[in-house]
Amino acid sequence: MPLPHIVVDDDRCNDPLSCRICLLACPTRVLGLGTSVGPEKYKEIDPHRFVVRGVRYQVCSGCLKCVEVCPTGAIEITFDGSKTA
Amino acid sequence: MCMWCERFGEGCERWYFNPSNYARRLYKVRRAETESAGAEANPQAAGGMAAAGREYLEAAERGDHETVERLKTEAEQRSWAIHFGQVLTIEDVHQILELMYPIGLMTCACRRSMRGLADEENFTCIGMGPGMYKWERWPDTYRGGVQFLTPEEAKEAIDAMNRRGLVQCIYTFGTPYLAGLCNCDYPDCGGIRTVQDMGIKVLWKGHHIAEVDPDLCNGCALCVRRCQFKALTFSPSTLKAYIDPFKCFGCGLCRTVCKPDAVKLIDRASRPALSEVW
Repeated sequence: MPLPHIVVDDDRCNDPLSCRICLLACPTRVLGLGTSVGPEKYKEIDPHRFVVRGVRYQVCSGCLKCVEVCPTGAIEITFDGSKTA
Repeated sequence: MCMWCERFGEGCERWYFNPSNYARRLYKVRRAETESAGAEANPQAAGGMAAAGREYLEAAERGDHETVERLKTEAEQRSWAIHFGQVLTIEDVHQILELMYPIGLMTCACRRSMRGLADEENFTCIGMGPGMYKWERWPDTYRGGVQFLTPEEAKEAIDAMNRRGLVQCIYTFGTPYLAGLCNCDYPDCGGIRTVQDMGIKVLWKGHHIAEVDPDLCNGCALCVRRCQFKALTFSPSTLKAYIDPFKCFGCGLCRTVCKPDAVKLIDRASRPALSEVW
């Protein structure tokens, strides 16, 4: 079973915490929501600093539901280097 | 014997009944460890809720057992030093709620990461001890704030989550400092996923295992949907519940819904072949 390569364009994926459409679409929770910075004192993290990444690659079936539902087309998934989206 | 009881029990029946494991002085350990992990830990560790990254999955994929074992050991050692959990029974939870303070209901970081769950829908985590007083200082660690509960309120809240089907687990933050009482399920809990999907033991089985009395089981199958560890199935040949004791984590969720009282939690130590299955 090949592992997918999952690339998310952070410029297009602007506020994943309030969007979260891809996270809900994924049947196996392959994607994870994290941040590109650590927590800061007395301050919530800027929404633009939240990022979506592939995490649990081994349970990605390649259904591409996340790619389809992303309103900004920010997600790209390839298997074995060949583009599927 | 449970390694953690051996190391940190200090004469108490279980390591999580030892009041000194809820003490303030240990909390600092975690900060030093987390900071030394640095920005590299993000988002894989901090947000992605996985104890090991792509390197581990790739090694498993190509059948490189040596690398898998090395990375697994590294991930487990890291987790056991900083942040790991053990499954509790509801009786354990009630006893713990009597011995630590304060108790804070807070949002679940796993469900935020897995499903981007909004704060107002996400109050399923219990934080314990002096760290709770830091919620204003670290608004992102404690997103949505903290609701302080009395022990009685906390018991009610956790009983309700248990009935809903969430597994109770206790977590360290700088071992052996205990500060999290998580209410977990598959597939949204990072701990359960890491241990079930990757075989990395960031969540230890509890001190009990569930056993079905086939004479009492009426075959209603209410328990089947409760198991989060793929240990409980319904046998079509006997028309009764079947529990694999080697997979059982001993949370007791199946027992909670068993009307004829056919599920009993027995002490793991009472079964020679299971006493070291954690």
